[in-house]
Amino acid sequence: MGRQVAIVSAGFTEHASKRSDVNMPELISEAIEDCLKKVPSISFEDIDAYVNGNMPAFEGANIPELWMTDWMGARNKPLMRVTTGGTTGGTVAIAGYYSVAAGLPGIDTVLAIGFEQQSQGNTATGLASVAYGEITVYNTLGITYERLTRILSAGAAIGVASYQATNYMHKSKITEEDLARVVVQNRRNAAKTWWAHLKMPDLTIEQVLDTPYISYPLRYGMVCPASDGACAVLFTTEEKAKNMCDIPVYVNGVSSIAHETAVLGYNCSGSGQIDPSEQLGAMKSAELAYGQAGISFPRKEIDYAEVYSPFPNQELMWVEKLGLFEETTAPQMYENGVTSLKGELPICCSGGVNSTNAIGASALERPAEAALQIMGKASNQVPKTVHTAIGHGWGGSLNLCTMMVMSDEPQRKWR
Amino acid sequence: MEKVGIVGYNQVKLYSDANYGRYEMIFEAVRGAIDKAGLKKKDITTVVSCTNDYYDGRTISNCFTVDVGGSYLTDESKVEMDGAHAVLYGLMRVLSGNHKLAVVWGGSMASCFPYHSARLYETDPTWERPLAYVNDITSAGFQMRAYMEKYGVSVDDIAKVSVKNRKNAAKNPLALEEAQNANITVKDILESEIYADPVTELMVAQPCDGIAALLLAPEKQALKITDNPVWITGVGYSQDTYYLGDRDLSTCKSMENAGKMAFKTAGIKNPKEEIDVAEFFEAYAHEELIFAEALGFADKGKGASIESEINGNLPINPSGGAIGGNPPCATGIIRIIEAAKQLTGEANGYQVKGVKKAIASGQIGMCAQNNILYVLEGSN
Amino acid sequence: MSKRTQRKSLDYVKKDYVKTRTMPGNWYLSSYTYKFNLTHMQPFLKKLKEKKLVGLKCPGCNRVFFPPRLVCGQCLIKPNQWVDLRETGEVASFTIAYLKDPGTGKVQEKPMVLIRQDGADTVYMVELNPEVDYKDTYIGMPVKVHWSEDLKGSLADIEYYDLVEDNARDLDLHKE
Repeated sequence: MGRQVAIVSAGFTEHASKRSDVNMPELISEAIEDCLKKVPSISFEDIDAYVNGNMPAFEGANIPELWMTDWMGARNKPLMRVTTGGTTGGTVAIAGYYSVAAGLPGIDTVLAIGFEQQSQGNTATGLASVAYGEITVYNTLGITYERLTRILSAGAAIGVASYQATNYMHKSKITEEDLARVVVQNRRNAAKTWWAHLKMPDLTIEQVLDTPYISYPLRYGMVCPASDGACAVLFTTEEKAKNMCDIPVYVNGVSSIAHETAVLGYNCSGSGQIDPSEQLGAMKSAELAYGQAGISFPRKEIDYAEVYSPFPNQELMWVEKLGLFEETTAPQMYENGVTSLKGELPICCSGGVNSTNAIGASALERPAEAALQIMGKASNQVPKTVHTAIGHGWGGSLNLCTMMVMSDEPQRKWR
Repeated sequence: MEKVGIVGYNQVKLYSDANYGRYEMIFEAVRGAIDKAGLKKKDITTVVSCTNDYYDGRTISNCFTVDVGGSYLTDESKVEMDGAHAVLYGLMRVLSGNHKLAVVWGGSMASCFPYHSARLYETDPTWERPLAYVNDITSAGFQMRAYMEKYGVSVDDIAKVSVKNRKNAAKNPLALEEAQNANITVKDILESEIYADPVTELMVAQPCDGIAALLLAPEKQALKITDNPVWITGVGYSQDTYYLGDRDLSTCKSMENAGKMAFKTAGIKNPKEEIDVAEFFEAYAHEELIFAEALGFADKGKGASIESEINGNLPINPSGGAIGGNPPCATGIIRIIEAAKQLTGEANGYQVKGVKKAIASGQIGMCAQNNILYVLEGSN
Repeated sequence: MSKRTQRKSLDYVKKDYVKTRTMPGNWYLSSYTYKFNLTHMQPFLKKLKEKKLVGLKCPGCNRVFFPPRLVCGQCLIKPNQWVDLRETGEVASFTIAYLKDPGTGKVQEKPMVLIRQDGADTVYMVELNPEVDYKDTYIGMPVKVHWSEDLKGSLADIEYYDLVEDNARDLDLHKE
């Protein structure tokens, strides 16, 4: 049952804080054009099915892929929509993988598209409304709105992440310079990526620390921007991939594990994640994906990693939780240059989510960039040859985590 | 395509204004489905849910349902279309070989929000939404008028579909109470309030509260779990273009394409002879006739000539269809469950005799823009 | 993102996108009514009125939920055993929010804490005593419930948490 899946191409649009020259369908058609022009041997007729996703709260459009049918070239073709909040891009990639791996007759080539145009709506409202349902319960049980706004005023995504940051800092005893160093590396990498949003080739640690706090320990200079952008990835079977590109990238392991929410429990109960930086869900997700891909020693076998970290403390945490480094040693790795472009295990050479964050597309851009690094066609290509790479995403209230493990050799588990 | 079995299912009774909380309802549906199959929480390997951010009033609507949906520390994802598309994703996950038991649940509570205002957000924001002349209400009127004018179908024929479905719903204990009208006549339907001329209110599938869940397993595991699993032998899905002016509203091209793909996968050459029961998701009464013609059960314009009663030639919607209750995002799953009940002989009160093959459909979008069709077979 | 950082980044992204047609619009999320069950909370709220804390225990995994939870996700059953909890707890996580006072325009710093009650396996978001200096909060700090004056059987009966003297602090080798 099932068959091997390969990625043959990935396309991006230019990300900016306000893409005022396009509306949503035109944005994704740019990404699709960029994706298909790298594979000149096929055209729209050869695409058998589509998978589409974004976070609908930001643009005020419900199920927008119904409207965008013609711009995607999906007229009279199968189409499926998958959305899961912050991990939308990751789940779109995984849905694209499953569409091909299932082996439904006639569906061999699938185009996966993730996009977001955050300038059309209000990001803060969109993110805060995750908890609207639970906040009303608190209000019914006697807590006044005024007290609620004080309690939840730490803000939506930034608030939950700062709890996680405090716990991580308590465990690993890192300083703010460590956090700023991660930001500097990411923004300098983004300066060489053509589609990234915040390109700062001359950023220094002092400049990052010179900005005020949003929510301890995160400063304004450290957090991700809100961008408009789209990304498209083309999946196909092993046989067809050989005709489409020189180095097809085989998808060997996928997983998207959900854990219970952190900070806020459902229906006014407490949260079961006592330490939000422990991330059992992410560790299980990584274990599952590595098991499917046949990777036993992640530190040795993985050559490149793209982790989803809008905040620098998360990048330090994820590289430990995903098995790439030992616990509490990540800051030293960044200091010693192990994770830089020319290091042993480069991380986020496209600038990562710290430099570009179009929420619906970010978790798709991580596997897309990792795939391009394996193919040798990334805009900030690492000097060494990359054989195995991972793309990762997280979302929700610190409880959803997606992983995709790719390699240039197929993992033939269906023998 | 290898066979995938439906090994358990559960649906809560549909209410137009339920006294439940959302999490309680999800737990009842999912736990009931697992208990029916005799399995445990640890057997679940993947969960696919189907909810909609706008219908739930919060973003990331699958974020807080991790505990109640059975997806604690399991592979979980969310499809934001009709419930039948979530079953498709669950099917893909099982067919890939990575998972052995998939739980699919979906639904929402339509009494919590103004349904038509939320549907307005599906429209084109630049050209259609400011004036709101084209929305889900008026598009139903356009479709019915186009169908009637092209083929000369009378309003009575379409009203008869609604009468049949409402009488069938009266025999279905889980259908919506307002839709269970055992003594309704064509005159009642035509004299009810105008929805969008010529569509009247009793021809519309009323949105309500409800959640449904079902379990999927690959062939080998399905035979170990239950003695008579229902096999999914074919699936087809397709999306038409968006603007109403670009389509021929009197036929349904997306249902034709979905039917072609599903019948080819299942190996059905003559659907009119081989299919014994059909469960369509018809958002309006006229869509049932349009779908039946698109799949080849009748010639174009002659959909009303099909004997679609429970004891007729080709029973359509013996459980009442979507007119018997339409919880947004769950209706597709309920259609598949009802078709499965016909195949296992558990449809008490509205059972069709001698069912070997059945079809079930789901749709999303204005005037059925995206359709999905399943072909189901029994095991005996 | 703050205007200052945005202005800084624009120095490096010198691109003017041609403006296309725009249409104003808004979506009313506030027209939604949320439905939820609270039957499982009633014993908990009744005991709050008597100044007692109780938690709900799941017989499958032995986890104690405070405040009570409808369904235990690990076992997929409804927990049904009530246990008594002590009034003490500890800080499991905290952050410091920078709030702009709308009256004076000054930026205040307020600690936001997640407390784990002794005997429970969940954390709950609460406030600390308003006189506590935020520089004193650390992970593992012991706290105690401060009841409000009029007990109505609602969540607001727990007004805030007081600090308790920490006997184990001198053994702590790492100072925050």
